[in-house]
Amino acid sequence: MEKIIIKGRPAMGGIAEGEAVVCYDSIAGNSGAIGDTDGVIHEKGSANRGISLKNTILVIPYGKGSTGFSAHMKSAKFSGICPAGWVIKRMDSRLGAAVTSLGVPAVADFEEDDPMEVIKTGDWVKIDGNTGVVEITRN
Amino acid sequence: MVKLTEYEQRMLNGEMGEFKQKALQFIVKYAEVLGAEELCRVSRATLFIGAQHYLDCFNNDDYDEIFSKFYLNSDKKIKIAEFDKECICQTCAAACDIKDHESVHLSKEFFEKNKRFLDITKEAGVSIVNSCTPYYVGWIPLMGEHFVTTESSNVVMSNSVFGARGNAGGIEASVCAAICGRTPLWGLHIKENRYGDVVFNIKCPSKTVYDWDIIGYTMGRMLPPHGKPIINEGFERPDIHKLRQCFSSLATTSGAEICHVVGITPEARTLEEALGGKEPLEVIEITQKDYDESVAMLCDEGSGDIDLVSVGCPHLSLEEIKDIAMYLKGKKVKENVELWIWTDYAIQAMADVNGYTDIIEKSGGKLLNSSCPVVMREESHRHSKAMVMNGAKQAHSIRSQTKAPVYFGDIYKCLDAAIKGRWEA
Repeated sequence: MEKIIIKGRPAMGGIAEGEAVVCYDSIAGNSGAIGDTDGVIHEKGSANRGISLKNTILVIPYGKGSTGFSAHMKSAKFSGICPAGWVIKRMDSRLGAAVTSLGVPAVADFEEDDPMEVIKTGDWVKIDGNTGVVEITRN
Repeated sequence: MVKLTEYEQRMLNGEMGEFKQKALQFIVKYAEVLGAEELCRVSRATLFIGAQHYLDCFNNDDYDEIFSKFYLNSDKKIKIAEFDKECICQTCAAACDIKDHESVHLSKEFFEKNKRFLDITKEAGVSIVNSCTPYYVGWIPLMGEHFVTTESSNVVMSNSVFGARGNAGGIEASVCAAICGRTPLWGLHIKENRYGDVVFNIKCPSKTVYDWDIIGYTMGRMLPPHGKPIINEGFERPDIHKLRQCFSSLATTSGAEICHVVGITPEARTLEEALGGKEPLEVIEITQKDYDESVAMLCDEGSGDIDLVSVGCPHLSLEEIKDIAMYLKGKKVKENVELWIWTDYAIQAMADVNGYTDIIEKSGGKLLNSSCPVVMREESHRHSKAMVMNGAKQAHSIRSQTKAPVYFGDIYKCLDAAIKGRWEA
């Protein structure tokens, strides 16, 4: 079992852990790309199509597409499906709005290590949104 | 720690009511998440509200409760009160046409719920405009003016063409900004962050609205994360409709919030000005091969019978509707084929007065307002066995909602398909 620690800027307080879903090309914010009531990625062409965001640590480099991104994530949250936390390579306004609206822990703006390279889908990731420490465990 | 003015601190303390207090709490939290140090005044807003489908997660109709939970992050129900008086607020695209729900297969119940929600926010100061191209009907933030908008193509338009300042953000953040009149002073609200850093040279066709749609889609595919594109050279001079189409597809395949066009947009009179004197991170050519690849991604292969044609993503201008009417004059849409043409209701009213609506209706088409298939969601297009879309954003996004074949083409090719009932590759 391998353990890796990387550090970013604490963006939203709290501690969370879960299985990583790494979205190299982000997730479009357009209606239907994330299921409003099932929290599943439906975006055609996405490598993660069919994956539910429930209790995951969402590892994402940037936001793209419609400004509806935060609203679709929020809708899924009210339907009982929400990521446990966020690892954001570099913060932007789309992701910032979604982090604020969902209110789950987030670490962003990594200067030394690139979370998109370090973290693999399926890794167990623990994030501390108060200190910015991200702990990755790989079996 | 976000630095607040005395006025903002008083609002945060609740002196201007709980509605504004909660909205400002959201904005202050948003500023912390972004890493912003202070807020700025917002004077224009367009908001994607009403009975939008992202609210389908609620099984009640109490709009105060829904609004509090969804937009204000408040478990406590707060009565919807006045939006910021100094911010001009209007609605973005809506979940339904303002008069006609039958033609688009939506229920009367849903239509009335949408109307009721929009009427409540109208009373609170948000005018019902229902446009994703609000600049056609007078919503134009000027150079340096801070805005919020929930239409991603309008984020790019307002930053790039008008020189106004705004980020994409998100719907809840924009609603809260319009209520308290403040948004984080961060990102494109600050001049130093507005310079372009990825240069695109165009080596593919750039004559028509369709060409510019594909150029935007292709640029978005190639733009590195967080890149700020500059269209530098090799293009035929665009008009506002071509830029609208380019920005709409650019903001579909990327997170772009600004796009300088050298010699056209005000912060890019020269390439050097657009770059702010720095070297670009990348210089990218858009070739015919790239263009063809994008078309292949947007348009299903081959020919086939179709039953739904939707034109007008983003919402069309009056002159485009005139062109459509002239093209359709004396022609008939094939039986059992639906032809939907989308704009806002102000332009629809002008089309009525000018006789364009009548010509379109006589051909068997419908001139509709406020919405589009992607926003209306599956209920509006579930019946379709094969559809034709103009607008790369629409053709791209509808694929997340349907398994039916989707064909994509320029407006006239879409109209031809409606007349023949068939898409010819």
